Amino acid sequence: MTSKPRVCVAIEPDLIAAATGEAAEPAAERVEAHVAACAPCRDDFARYRAIDSAVGALRSTAPPAGDADAARQRLIARLADLRTRILSYRVFPSSLGPILIARSEHGVALVEYLPREGVAASRLFRMAGVEAQEDSGDLEGLQRELLEYLDGRRRRLDWPLDFRGASSDFQRAVMEATVAVPYGAVSSYTGIAGDLGKPAAVRAVAQALRHNPLPIVVPCHRIVGSGGDLIGYAGNRLNLKEQLLGLEGVPTQPERASKIARRALYHYEPNPGREYCLPTCGDIARRPIGILFTRREQAEARGLVPCTSCHPELHPLPE
Amino acid sequence: MEGAAFDTVVTTHHGEIFRYLRRLSWRAAEADDLSQETFLRAYRAWGGLAADANVRAWLFTIATNVFRNHVRSERRRQAAHATVRTTRRELELDGPEEEAMAVEMKTLTEAAIRRLPLKQRLAFTLRKLHELDYEAIGQSLECSPESARAHVFQALRKIRTTLDGHVQPLTESTR
Repeated sequence: MTSKPRVCVAIEPDLIAAATGEAAEPAAERVEAHVAACAPCRDDFARYRAIDSAVGALRSTAPPAGDADAARQRLIARLADLRTRILSYRVFPSSLGPILIARSEHGVALVEYLPREGVAASRLFRMAGVEAQEDSGDLEGLQRELLEYLDGRRRRLDWPLDFRGASSDFQRAVMEATVAVPYGAVSSYTGIAGDLGKPAAVRAVAQALRHNPLPIVVPCHRIVGSGGDLIGYAGNRLNLKEQLLGLEGVPTQPERASKIARRALYHYEPNPGREYCLPTCGDIARRPIGILFTRREQAEARGLVPCTSCHPELHPLPE
Repeated sequence: MEGAAFDTVVTTHHGEIFRYLRRLSWRAAEADDLSQETFLRAYRAWGGLAADANVRAWLFTIATNVFRNHVRSERRRQAAHATVRTTRRELELDGPEEEAMAVEMKTLTEAAIRRLPLKQRLAFTLRKLHELDYEAIGQSLECSPESARAHVFQALRKIRTTLDGHVQPLTESTR
Protein backbone atom coordinates (compact mmCIF):
# COMPACT_ATOMS: atom_id res chain seq x y z
CA MET A 1 0.00 0.00 0.00
CA THR A 2 1.46 3.27 -1.04
CA SER A 3 1.12 6.18 1.35
CA LYS A 4 -0.65 9.33 0.19
CA PRO A 5 1.45 12.31 -0.91
CA ARG A 6 1.86 14.81 1.90
CA VAL A 7 -0.04 17.51 0.02
CA CYS A 8 -3.07 15.22 -0.32
CA VAL A 9 -3.01 14.37 3.39
CA ALA A 10 -2.84 18.07 4.23
CA ILE A 11 -5.80 19.02 2.07
CA GLU A 12 -8.04 16.11 3.16
CA PRO A 13 -10.03 17.98 5.88
CA ASP A 14 -10.78 20.80 3.41
CA LEU A 15 -11.63 18.25 0.74
CA ILE A 16 -14.17 16.56 2.99
CA ALA A 17 -15.56 19.94 3.98
CA ALA A 18 -15.84 21.10 0.38
CA ALA A 19 -17.48 17.88 -0.79
CA THR A 20 -20.06 18.05 1.99
CA GLY A 21 -20.83 21.73 1.73
CA GLU A 22 -18.99 22.87 4.85
CA ALA A 23 -15.97 24.66 3.40
CA ALA A 24 -15.45 28.40 3.31
CA GLU A 25 -14.77 29.99 -0.08
CA PRO A 26 -10.90 30.06 -0.03
CA ALA A 27 -10.69 26.42 1.11
CA ALA A 28 -13.19 25.36 -1.53
CA GLU A 29 -11.08 27.06 -4.21
CA ARG A 30 -7.90 25.37 -2.97
CA VAL A 31 -9.64 22.00 -3.10
CA GLU A 32 -10.96 22.68 -6.58
CA ALA A 33 -7.49 23.51 -7.84
CA HIS A 34 -6.03 20.41 -6.20
CA VAL A 35 -8.58 17.89 -7.46
CA ALA A 36 -8.27 19.25 -10.96
CA ALA A 37 -4.70 18.02 -10.92
CA CYS A 38 -4.86 14.96 -8.65
CA ALA A 39 -6.88 11.93 -9.79
CA PRO A 40 -6.97 9.99 -6.48
CA CYS A 41 -8.22 13.07 -4.65
CA ARG A 42 -10.76 13.68 -7.41
CA ASP A 43 -12.01 10.16 -6.69
CA ASP A 44 -12.10 10.87 -2.94
CA PHE A 45 -14.01 14.05 -3.60
CA ALA A 46 -16.58 12.21 -5.69
CA ARG A 47 -17.07 9.57 -2.98
CA TYR A 48 -17.70 12.20 -0.33
CA ARG A 49 -20.06 13.98 -2.70
CA ALA A 50 -21.95 10.73 -3.14
CA ILE A 51 -22.21 10.30 0.62
CA ASP A 52 -23.38 13.88 0.95
CA SER A 53 -26.14 13.39 -1.57
CA ALA A 54 -27.21 10.11 0.08
CA VAL A 55 -27.35 11.99 3.38
CA GLY A 56 -29.42 14.67 1.66
CA ALA A 57 -31.86 11.97 0.58
CA LEU A 58 -31.99 10.66 4.16
CA ARG A 59 -32.62 14.14 5.46
CA SER A 60 -35.72 14.50 3.35
CA THR A 61 -36.96 11.02 4.29
CA ALA A 62 -39.44 11.34 7.11
CA PRO A 63 -40.73 8.43 9.15
CA PRO A 64 -44.38 7.54 8.38
CA ALA A 65 -46.48 10.56 9.35
CA GLY A 66 -48.82 8.32 11.31
CA ASP A 67 -46.03 7.37 13.73
CA ALA A 68 -45.24 10.97 14.59
CA ASP A 69 -48.91 11.92 14.92
CA ALA A 70 -49.68 9.01 17.20
CA ALA A 71 -46.60 9.82 19.30
CA ARG A 72 -47.68 13.45 19.55
CA GLN A 73 -51.20 12.51 20.64
CA ARG A 74 -49.80 10.28 23.37
CA LEU A 75 -47.44 13.05 24.45
CA ILE A 76 -50.26 15.59 24.67
CA ALA A 77 -52.24 13.23 26.90
CA ARG A 78 -49.27 12.64 29.19
CA LEU A 79 -48.50 16.35 29.36
CA ALA A 80 -52.09 17.10 30.31
CA ASP A 81 -51.82 14.57 33.11
CA LEU A 82 -48.45 15.90 34.27
CA ARG A 83 -49.74 19.47 34.27
CA THR A 84 -52.50 18.67 36.68
CA ARG A 85 -50.03 16.93 39.00
CA ILE A 86 -47.16 19.43 39.09
CA LEU A 87 -47.06 21.77 42.05
CA SER A 88 -44.30 24.32 41.96
CA TYR A 89 -43.30 25.54 45.37
CA ARG A 90 -41.32 28.29 46.99
CA VAL A 91 -40.05 28.69 50.55
CA PHE A 92 -39.36 32.05 52.15
CA PRO A 93 -38.94 33.57 55.60
CA SER A 94 -41.73 35.66 57.11
CA SER A 95 -42.67 37.28 60.41
CA LEU A 96 -44.57 34.04 61.15
CA GLY A 97 -41.56 31.82 60.41
CA PRO A 98 -40.62 30.05 57.15
CA ILE A 99 -43.57 29.60 54.81
CA LEU A 100 -43.98 27.32 51.83
CA ILE A 101 -46.44 28.12 49.06
CA ALA A 102 -47.24 25.75 46.23
CA ARG A 103 -49.27 26.37 43.12
CA SER A 104 -50.69 24.18 40.38
CA GLU A 105 -51.96 25.36 37.04
CA HIS A 106 -55.38 25.75 38.73
CA GLY A 107 -54.22 27.98 41.54
CA VAL A 108 -52.57 28.05 44.93
CA ALA A 109 -52.88 24.60 46.47
CA LEU A 110 -50.82 24.82 49.63
CA VAL A 111 -49.69 27.42 52.14
CA GLU A 112 -47.74 25.89 54.98
CA TYR A 113 -45.95 27.06 58.08
CA LEU A 114 -42.90 24.87 57.70
CA PRO A 115 -42.12 22.58 60.59
CA ARG A 116 -38.81 22.88 62.37
CA GLU A 117 -37.36 20.05 60.29
CA GLY A 118 -37.61 22.27 57.21
CA VAL A 119 -38.86 21.79 53.69
CA ALA A 120 -38.18 18.03 53.55
CA ALA A 121 -40.87 17.56 56.21
CA SER A 122 -43.44 19.55 54.22
CA ARG A 123 -46.80 17.91 53.64
CA LEU A 124 -46.27 18.73 49.98
CA PHE A 125 -44.17 15.59 49.65
CA ARG A 126 -46.86 13.44 51.21
CA MET A 127 -49.64 14.58 48.88
CA ALA A 128 -50.76 11.68 46.70
CA GLY A 129 -50.09 11.94 42.97
CA VAL A 130 -48.32 15.27 43.26
CA GLU A 131 -45.06 16.03 41.53
CA ALA A 132 -43.35 18.80 43.50
CA GLN A 133 -41.03 21.10 41.66
CA GLU A 134 -39.04 23.97 43.04
CA ASP A 135 -40.25 27.26 41.64
CA SER A 136 -38.04 29.09 39.17
CA GLY A 137 -39.40 32.54 39.89
CA ASP A 138 -43.04 32.59 38.89
CA LEU A 139 -44.20 32.38 42.52
CA GLU A 140 -42.24 35.49 43.43
CA GLY A 141 -45.37 37.62 43.02
CA LEU A 142 -47.30 35.44 45.48
CA GLN A 143 -44.44 35.66 47.97
CA ARG A 144 -44.40 39.44 47.68
CA GLU A 145 -48.15 39.74 48.15
CA LEU A 146 -48.13 37.45 51.15
CA LEU A 147 -45.31 39.41 52.80
CA GLU A 148 -47.15 42.67 52.11
CA TYR A 149 -50.20 41.12 53.70
CA LEU A 150 -48.25 40.08 56.80
CA ASP A 151 -46.81 43.60 56.98
CA GLY A 152 -50.31 45.08 57.00
CA ARG A 153 -49.74 46.75 53.62
CA ARG A 154 -52.27 44.57 51.82
CA ARG A 155 -55.71 43.39 52.85
CA ARG A 156 -56.68 41.03 50.10
CA LEU A 157 -55.04 38.01 48.55
CA ASP A 158 -57.02 37.59 45.37
CA TRP A 159 -55.40 34.32 44.42
CA PRO A 160 -56.95 31.60 42.33
CA LEU A 161 -57.21 28.64 44.67
CA ASP A 162 -56.88 24.96 43.93
CA PHE A 163 -59.14 23.07 46.31
CA ARG A 164 -58.41 19.66 44.79
CA GLY A 165 -56.32 18.80 47.84
CA ALA A 166 -59.43 19.02 50.03
CA SER A 167 -60.06 15.70 51.73
CA SER A 168 -63.81 15.80 51.01
CA ASP A 169 -66.56 17.89 49.47
CA PHE A 170 -67.46 18.94 52.98
CA GLN A 171 -63.97 20.27 53.69
CA ARG A 172 -64.08 22.13 50.41
CA ALA A 173 -67.43 23.69 51.31
CA VAL A 174 -66.06 24.73 54.71
CA MET A 175 -63.03 26.32 53.04
CA GLU A 176 -65.23 28.22 50.60
CA ALA A 177 -67.45 29.49 53.41
CA THR A 178 -64.32 30.57 55.32
CA VAL A 179 -62.98 32.52 52.34
CA ALA A 180 -66.21 34.54 52.48
CA VAL A 181 -65.37 35.90 55.97
CA PRO A 182 -63.84 39.30 55.18
CA TYR A 183 -60.68 40.92 56.49
CA GLY A 184 -61.21 42.29 60.00
CA ALA A 185 -64.27 40.10 60.66
CA VAL A 186 -64.59 36.97 62.76
CA SER A 187 -66.94 34.03 62.55
CA SER A 188 -67.28 30.87 64.59
CA TYR A 189 -67.33 27.16 63.83
CA THR A 190 -71.01 27.36 64.74
CA GLY A 191 -71.46 30.26 62.34
CA ILE A 192 -69.84 28.36 59.45
CA ALA A 193 -71.86 25.24 60.21
CA GLY A 194 -74.97 27.44 60.08
CA ASP A 195 -73.85 28.99 56.76
CA LEU A 196 -73.55 25.49 55.32
CA GLY A 197 -77.04 24.61 56.52
CA LYS A 198 -75.61 21.96 58.85
CA PRO A 199 -75.90 23.58 62.28
CA ALA A 200 -75.02 20.32 64.05
CA ALA A 201 -71.72 19.91 62.18
CA VAL A 202 -69.73 22.26 64.43
CA ARG A 203 -67.04 19.71 65.31
CA ALA A 204 -66.73 18.61 61.70
CA VAL A 205 -66.17 22.24 60.68
CA ALA A 206 -63.45 22.57 63.30
CA GLN A 207 -61.83 19.33 62.04
CA ALA A 208 -61.96 20.51 58.43
CA LEU A 209 -60.23 23.75 59.30
CA ARG A 210 -57.65 22.05 61.48
CA HIS A 211 -56.39 20.44 58.26
CA ASN A 212 -56.77 23.58 56.14
CA PRO A 213 -54.11 23.31 53.42
CA LEU A 214 -54.39 27.03 52.69
CA PRO A 215 -54.01 28.98 55.95
CA ILE A 216 -53.99 32.81 55.70
CA VAL A 217 -55.56 32.82 52.22
CA VAL A 218 -58.42 30.62 53.43
CA PRO A 219 -58.60 32.65 56.62
CA CYS A 220 -59.28 29.98 59.22
CA HIS A 221 -57.69 32.34 61.75
CA ARG A 222 -60.92 34.33 61.51
CA ILE A 223 -62.91 31.39 62.79
CA VAL A 224 -63.09 31.14 66.57
CA GLY A 225 -65.00 29.21 69.23
CA SER A 226 -68.64 30.19 69.69
CA GLY A 227 -67.76 32.10 72.86
CA GLY A 228 -64.88 33.94 71.19
CA ASP A 229 -61.95 31.73 72.20
CA LEU A 230 -59.12 31.39 69.71
CA ILE A 231 -58.85 27.66 69.45
CA GLY A 232 -56.95 25.27 67.24
CA TYR A 233 -54.50 26.78 64.81
CA ALA A 234 -51.64 25.22 62.84
CA GLY A 235 -51.36 22.41 65.31
CA ASN A 236 -51.06 24.34 68.49
CA ARG A 237 -49.71 27.68 67.37
CA LEU A 238 -52.39 29.98 68.72
CA ASN A 239 -49.89 32.83 68.79
CA LEU A 240 -50.02 32.86 64.96
CA LYS A 241 -53.79 33.18 65.08
CA GLU A 242 -53.44 36.08 67.53
CA GLN A 243 -50.88 37.79 65.33
CA LEU A 244 -53.02 37.48 62.21
CA LEU A 245 -56.14 38.79 63.95
CA GLY A 246 -54.10 41.58 65.55
CA LEU A 247 -52.93 42.58 62.09
CA GLU A 248 -56.54 42.91 60.96
CA GLY A 249 -57.40 45.05 63.97
CA VAL A 250 -59.60 42.44 65.65
CA PRO A 251 -59.44 43.26 69.36
CA THR A 252 -58.71 40.58 71.93
CA GLN A 253 -59.46 40.83 75.62
CA PRO A 254 -56.86 42.86 77.51
CA GLU A 255 -56.47 40.26 80.26
CA ARG A 256 -56.69 37.25 77.91
CA ALA A 257 -55.25 37.62 74.42
CA SER A 258 -56.63 34.25 73.35
CA LYS A 259 -60.22 35.48 73.53
CA ILE A 260 -61.94 37.92 71.19
CA ALA A 261 -63.15 41.17 72.82
CA ARG A 262 -66.77 40.81 71.67
CA ARG A 263 -67.77 44.03 73.39
CA ALA A 264 -65.72 45.97 70.89
CA LEU A 265 -67.32 44.41 67.77
CA TYR A 266 -70.54 44.63 65.78
CA HIS A 267 -72.58 41.44 65.86
CA TYR A 268 -74.64 39.65 63.30
CA GLU A 269 -76.53 36.45 63.56
CA PRO A 270 -78.86 35.33 60.79
CA ASN A 271 -82.23 37.14 60.91
CA PRO A 272 -84.88 37.81 58.27
CA GLY A 273 -84.26 41.58 58.18
CA ARG A 274 -80.47 41.03 57.83
CA GLU A 275 -79.86 43.48 60.66
CA TYR A 276 -76.54 43.79 62.47
CA CYS A 277 -76.31 45.00 66.04
CA LEU A 278 -74.25 46.63 68.72
CA PRO A 279 -72.80 44.15 71.22
CA THR A 280 -75.16 45.64 73.79
CA CYS A 281 -78.31 44.72 71.86
CA GLY A 282 -80.25 42.31 74.05
CA ASP A 283 -78.22 39.22 74.94
CA ILE A 284 -76.52 39.00 71.53
CA ALA A 285 -73.01 39.21 73.00
CA ARG A 286 -73.67 36.14 75.11
CA ARG A 287 -75.05 33.98 72.33
CA PRO A 288 -72.89 31.84 70.00
CA ILE A 289 -70.99 34.00 67.53
CA GLY A 290 -72.47 34.29 64.05
CA ILE A 291 -70.16 36.86 62.54
CA LEU A 292 -68.44 39.85 64.14
CA PHE A 293 -67.19 42.97 62.39
CA THR A 294 -64.61 45.52 63.48
CA ARG A 295 -66.21 48.23 61.34
CA ARG A 296 -69.77 48.97 60.21
CA GLU A 297 -68.67 49.25 56.58
CA GLN A 298 -67.68 45.60 56.59
CA ALA A 299 -71.19 44.61 57.66
CA GLU A 300 -72.82 46.91 55.14
CA ALA A 301 -70.56 45.65 52.37
CA ARG A 302 -72.19 42.26 52.97
CA GLY A 303 -75.64 43.73 52.49
CA LEU A 304 -76.48 43.99 56.18
CA VAL A 305 -78.46 46.92 57.61
CA PRO A 306 -78.33 48.61 61.03
CA CYS A 307 -80.60 47.11 63.68
CA THR A 308 -83.72 49.21 64.20
CA SER A 309 -83.67 48.79 67.97
CA CYS A 310 -79.97 49.33 68.92
CA HIS A 311 -79.10 51.69 66.02
CA PRO A 312 -75.40 50.98 65.48
CA GLU A 313 -75.38 53.78 62.88
CA LEU A 314 -76.27 56.33 65.58
CA HIS A 315 -74.05 54.89 68.30
CA PRO A 316 -70.95 53.58 66.54
CA LEU A 317 -68.35 51.69 68.56
CA PRO A 318 -65.13 53.59 69.25
CA GLU A 319 -62.58 52.79 66.51
CA MET B 1 -45.92 27.49 34.28
CA GLU B 2 -46.83 28.80 30.89
CA GLY B 3 -48.90 25.87 29.77
CA ALA B 4 -50.14 27.51 26.60
CA ALA B 5 -46.65 28.58 25.51
CA PHE B 6 -45.42 25.03 25.94
CA ASP B 7 -48.23 23.76 23.71
CA THR B 8 -46.69 25.86 20.97
CA VAL B 9 -43.32 24.27 21.66
CA VAL B 10 -44.87 20.84 21.17
CA THR B 11 -46.66 21.89 18.00
CA THR B 12 -43.54 23.46 16.53
CA HIS B 13 -40.85 20.99 17.49
CA HIS B 14 -42.33 17.59 18.24
CA GLY B 15 -42.17 16.40 14.65
CA GLU B 16 -38.51 17.17 14.25
CA ILE B 17 -37.44 15.81 17.65
CA PHE B 18 -39.42 12.65 16.93
CA ARG B 19 -37.64 12.28 13.58
CA TYR B 20 -34.28 12.79 15.29
CA LEU B 21 -35.00 10.11 17.88
CA ARG B 22 -36.53 7.84 15.23
CA ARG B 23 -33.26 8.05 13.32
CA LEU B 24 -31.29 7.17 16.41
CA SER B 25 -33.47 4.35 17.70
CA TRP B 26 -34.14 0.89 16.39
CA ARG B 27 -37.89 0.81 16.68
CA ALA B 28 -40.69 3.36 16.28
CA ALA B 29 -41.97 2.50 19.77
CA GLU B 30 -38.58 3.39 21.19
CA ALA B 31 -38.64 6.79 19.48
CA ASP B 32 -42.15 7.31 20.80
CA ASP B 33 -41.06 6.66 24.41
CA LEU B 34 -37.92 8.74 24.06
CA SER B 35 -39.68 11.71 22.51
CA GLN B 36 -42.26 11.66 25.29
CA GLU B 37 -39.51 11.53 27.87
CA THR B 38 -37.80 14.45 26.12
CA PHE B 39 -40.87 16.68 26.17
CA LEU B 40 -41.91 15.75 29.70
CA ARG B 41 -38.42 16.67 30.88
CA ALA B 42 -38.56 19.85 28.84
CA TYR B 43 -41.91 20.74 30.38
CA ARG B 44 -40.52 20.37 33.89
CA ALA B 45 -37.57 22.61 33.05
CA TRP B 46 -39.55 25.07 30.91
CA GLY B 47 -40.10 27.60 33.69
CA GLY B 48 -36.35 27.95 34.24
CA LEU B 49 -35.44 28.47 30.61
CA ALA B 50 -34.10 31.93 29.74
CA ALA B 51 -36.53 33.99 27.70
CA ASP B 52 -34.06 34.37 24.82
CA ALA B 53 -32.92 30.73 24.79
CA ASN B 54 -32.77 28.82 21.52
CA VAL B 55 -35.65 26.44 22.20
CA ARG B 56 -34.86 24.17 19.25
CA ALA B 57 -31.22 23.65 20.29
CA TRP B 58 -32.33 23.21 23.90
CA LEU B 59 -34.77 20.44 22.89
CA PHE B 60 -32.09 18.70 20.85
CA THR B 61 -29.81 18.78 23.91
CA ILE B 62 -32.50 17.20 26.07
CA ALA B 63 -33.32 14.61 23.40
CA THR B 64 -29.62 13.77 23.05
CA ASN B 65 -29.28 13.29 26.80
CA VAL B 66 -32.41 11.18 26.93
CA PHE B 67 -31.07 9.02 24.13
CA ARG B 68 -27.63 8.65 25.70
CA ASN B 69 -29.14 7.62 29.03
CA HIS B 70 -31.30 5.17 27.16
CA VAL B 71 -28.26 3.69 25.40
CA ARG B 72 -26.47 3.39 28.74
CA SER B 73 -29.34 1.55 30.38
CA GLU B 74 -29.83 -0.61 27.27
CA ARG B 75 -26.17 -1.58 27.47
CA ARG B 76 -26.51 -2.54 31.09
CA ARG B 77 -29.61 -4.54 30.27
CA GLN B 78 -27.95 -6.25 27.35
CA ALA B 79 -24.82 -7.04 29.31
CA ALA B 80 -27.10 -8.97 31.62
CA HIS B 81 -28.50 -10.90 28.66
CA ALA B 82 -25.01 -11.79 27.48
CA THR B 83 -23.92 -11.82 23.89
CA VAL B 84 -26.86 -13.43 22.13
CA ARG B 85 -28.58 -10.17 21.36
CA THR B 86 -25.45 -8.42 20.18
CA THR B 87 -24.95 -11.10 17.62
CA ARG B 88 -28.49 -10.75 16.43
CA ARG B 89 -28.07 -7.03 16.12
CA GLU B 90 -25.04 -7.48 13.89
CA LEU B 91 -27.11 -9.77 11.74
CA GLU B 92 -29.80 -7.15 11.36
CA LEU B 93 -27.32 -5.04 9.50
CA ASP B 94 -25.49 -7.67 7.52
CA GLY B 95 -28.33 -10.10 6.98
CA PRO B 96 -29.70 -11.15 3.60
CA GLU B 97 -32.20 -8.30 3.48
CA GLU B 98 -29.49 -5.73 3.88
CA GLU B 99 -27.45 -7.49 1.23
CA ALA B 100 -30.36 -7.39 -1.15
CA MET B 101 -30.55 -3.65 -0.81
CA ALA B 102 -26.83 -3.18 -0.98
CA VAL B 103 -27.13 -1.31 -4.22
CA GLU B 104 -29.01 1.40 -2.54
CA MET B 105 -26.58 4.03 -1.43
CA LYS B 106 -29.11 5.62 0.90
CA THR B 107 -29.77 2.43 2.81
CA LEU B 108 -26.08 1.70 3.06
CA THR B 109 -25.31 5.16 4.27
CA GLU B 110 -28.04 4.87 6.86
CA ALA B 111 -26.59 1.57 8.03
CA ALA B 112 -23.12 3.06 8.13
CA ILE B 113 -24.41 5.95 10.27
CA ARG B 114 -25.96 3.46 12.67
CA ARG B 115 -22.64 1.74 13.14
CA LEU B 116 -20.76 4.90 14.07
CA PRO B 117 -19.49 5.32 17.61
CA LEU B 118 -22.20 7.06 19.63
CA LYS B 119 -20.72 10.56 19.83
CA GLN B 120 -19.88 10.63 16.13
CA ARG B 121 -23.30 9.33 15.31
CA LEU B 122 -25.01 11.99 17.40
CA ALA B 123 -22.80 14.78 16.07
CA PHE B 124 -23.30 13.60 12.50
CA THR B 125 -27.09 13.25 12.85
CA LEU B 126 -27.44 16.66 14.47
CA ARG B 127 -25.29 18.32 11.83
CA LYS B 128 -26.13 16.55 8.62
CA LEU B 129 -29.70 15.43 9.16
CA HIS B 130 -30.99 18.26 11.35
CA GLU B 131 -28.57 21.00 10.29
CA LEU B 132 -27.80 22.37 13.74
CA ASP B 133 -24.79 24.65 14.06
CA TYR B 134 -21.65 23.41 15.80
CA GLU B 135 -22.29 25.69 18.77
CA ALA B 136 -25.58 23.91 19.49
CA ILE B 137 -24.11 20.48 18.79
CA GLY B 138 -21.27 21.19 21.22
CA GLN B 139 -23.87 22.10 23.82
CA SER B 140 -25.79 18.90 23.23
CA LEU B 141 -22.69 16.74 23.46
CA GLU B 142 -21.01 18.74 26.21
CA CYS B 143 -17.98 19.49 24.11
CA SER B 144 -16.54 22.47 22.23
CA PRO B 145 -17.86 23.41 18.79
CA GLU B 146 -14.44 22.39 17.43
CA SER B 147 -14.68 18.87 18.82
CA ALA B 148 -18.24 18.67 17.54
CA ARG B 149 -16.89 19.49 14.11
CA ALA B 150 -14.10 16.91 14.52
CA HIS B 151 -16.69 14.25 15.42
CA VAL B 152 -18.63 15.01 12.24
CA PHE B 153 -15.50 14.74 10.10
CA GLN B 154 -14.43 11.51 11.77
CA ALA B 155 -17.90 10.21 11.09
CA LEU B 156 -17.65 11.11 7.41
CA ARG B 157 -14.32 9.30 7.12
CA LYS B 158 -15.73 6.24 8.80
CA ILE B 159 -18.85 6.19 6.64
CA ARG B 160 -16.68 6.45 3.59
CA THR B 161 -14.51 3.54 4.72
CA THR B 162 -17.60 1.44 5.40
CA LEU B 163 -19.06 2.23 2.00
CA ASP B 164 -15.81 1.68 0.11
CA GLY B 165 -16.32 -2.05 0.30
CA HIS B 166 -19.83 -1.79 -1.15
CA VAL B 167 -20.24 0.88 -3.77
CA GLN B 168 -18.23 2.44 -6.50
CA PRO B 169 -19.55 5.85 -7.37
CA LEU B 170 -19.26 6.77 -11.00
CA THR B 171 -16.01 8.66 -11.28
CA GLU B 172 -13.29 8.93 -13.88
CA SER B 173 -11.21 6.26 -12.16
CA THR B 174 -14.03 3.71 -12.19
CA ARG B 175 -15.26 4.38 -15.69
